[in-house]
Amino acid sequence: MTADLVTAPPAPVPARIRSFARRNPTLVVTGGLLVAITLLVLVLPPFLPDPDAADPVNRLLSPSAEHLMGTDKYGRDLFARWASAGRISIGMTLLITVCAVTLGTSIGLVAGYFARAGTVIMRIVDAWMAFPSIILAIVFAVVVGPGMMSELLAVTIIFTPYTARIIRSRVLGLTTRTYVKAARVSGMGPWKTLAVHILPNTLPLAVVQCVLLSAGAMLIDGSLSFLGLGISPPTATWGNMVADGRTYLQGHPTMVLFPGLTIALFVFLLNLTGSALRAFVDPRARMLLDQQRRQRRSRR
Amino acid sequence: MLWVILRRLRDLVVVLFVVGTVLFFLLRSIPGDPATVLLGTKASPEQLERLRQDLGLTGPLYEQYLHWLGNVLTGDFGTSIKYNLPVLQMIFDNITPTLTLAVVSTVISFLLTVLIVTWVTVAPHNRVARLVSRAAQFGLALPEFWLALLAVYLFALTFGWFPPSGYTPLFADPATAITQLTLPVAVLVIGQTAFLTITMEESVLGELTQLYLRTARAKGVGERRIMLRHVLPNSMLPVLTSVGLNFASLIGGVVVIESIFVIPGLGTTLLGAVYARDFPLIQGGVMFIAFLFVLVNLLVDLAYALIDPKVRVS
Repeated sequence: MTADLVTAPPAPVPARIRSFARRNPTLVVTGGLLVAITLLVLVLPPFLPDPDAADPVNRLLSPSAEHLMGTDKYGRDLFARWASAGRISIGMTLLITVCAVTLGTSIGLVAGYFARAGTVIMRIVDAWMAFPSIILAIVFAVVVGPGMMSELLAVTIIFTPYTARIIRSRVLGLTTRTYVKAARVSGMGPWKTLAVHILPNTLPLAVVQCVLLSAGAMLIDGSLSFLGLGISPPTATWGNMVADGRTYLQGHPTMVLFPGLTIALFVFLLNLTGSALRAFVDPRARMLLDQQRRQRRSRR
Repeated sequence: MLWVILRRLRDLVVVLFVVGTVLFFLLRSIPGDPATVLLGTKASPEQLERLRQDLGLTGPLYEQYLHWLGNVLTGDFGTSIKYNLPVLQMIFDNITPTLTLAVVSTVISFLLTVLIVTWVTVAPHNRVARLVSRAAQFGLALPEFWLALLAVYLFALTFGWFPPSGYTPLFADPATAITQLTLPVAVLVIGQTAFLTITMEESVLGELTQLYLRTARAKGVGERRIMLRHVLPNSMLPVLTSVGLNFASLIGGVVVIESIFVIPGLGTTLLGAVYARDFPLIQGGVMFIAFLFVLVNLLVDLAYALIDPKVRVS
């Protein structure tokens, strides 16, 4: 009986969503827009013309009601290509991010928990963080041939250390907690402690890292396909669409404008979502930030 | 201070050794015979054998490696296959445009960042100032290759204020050089300033919680003076570190910009080397960029010591 008095019934779901939205307006708006663009790109292609179908009669058309973004030098519908490119660019970004964050989290966990190995690992990690990703992509483009694989390898290698560093510093903080000590004293092995007690506590940070890194991944993905070091035509990506439009910059600037603008918008939204998510996940950081804001405001 | 330099020099050697070694084995791991790849299937056996000799591709792998290492230690980075010139000479021939772009844009971005953040910190009420610092979030999201093409479209093709491409050495013909450099540098500056502005604003926020501010206020120092004399100089140090760490992404940007504005720099050379599968040139160029990175961070450390007495003492 008393339990009924103590635990109030959970609020109905819509009300909870509404209150979440009221507390985190940026997160909801930016995250919603990201999901909207992604869904658009996923849902649209079946309703659009074939992105690879050439139509020599309608070459290099300007945007119109029939061809929302115009057509390219082969008469292919650029809006259809934009949508299919979005699938590739967003997919590639996700793939890189998931690989880098998984790898980085694993390295961070081990480097944080095993002190001696950690120092050595972090020295190596620091050194490899230093490398320009485009240069590394150049190397891999030579070794495995330019394309998806070289891009994935190069960008994953560059992005892994960032996550490793952040996760490690979090793990270092966690290992001194009493429940971790208790687990150790009660005879739990190091790997099980890592999996049961430490990993779940680093997951929110890993999720934030995912969002923030994917912003960088999308920019680099764009640059690499632009330079011909990433996924190359006939498969469209937002980056190589910009490269394609480059030749027709004078007469058809929209060929460059639309795909590039999409990248910029997507990255901008990812950055904002990432910061909002970080504030949401790490209440301490949020408190500190609020405090600083208040102090700043009081000065004004 | 001497220790810092010595330690950095040791790091430099280690980084170059590791990068060189990894590259050596990566490039050797490519399936197939590089000589056949380079000369095509129509080449005669003698030609292939001579090229293998030139590339140091004869003998077992460890022997090749020692041979290469010995050459590098004596300053011989091999000969470019495509251009048939010593790699080191090619790098030095092409480094000036790259360095010009990197240095000029970094200096301008740094000054611009300090100006913007000072403005925002001293006049927090000013709407324009706040708008500029908000814009930094958006500037961070702009892909360089796209921004560069938009700039070419607007300022070169439509208005005709600047040439759409080309490069003249700065000291050969300053007037032409400056008109040609304006657009590439401006594009690099936008991205870098956005990044540095955000870094410095965060660092100002952190500095504002420091207790010495209370002391300063208690003894009657004016708000403006506190900002200019205490908060801003202290917030500049992390920005300096960011300049060093941002070098990697700056080089990435420079490669893209060189390719768009047809500037004969290191990036263009390296990209050309990839398409031509010019292994010695790639190996030398990449090692040189690693060298630059360590050098830049050494300079940042030195600047740190110059600016911050605390670093000098410890």
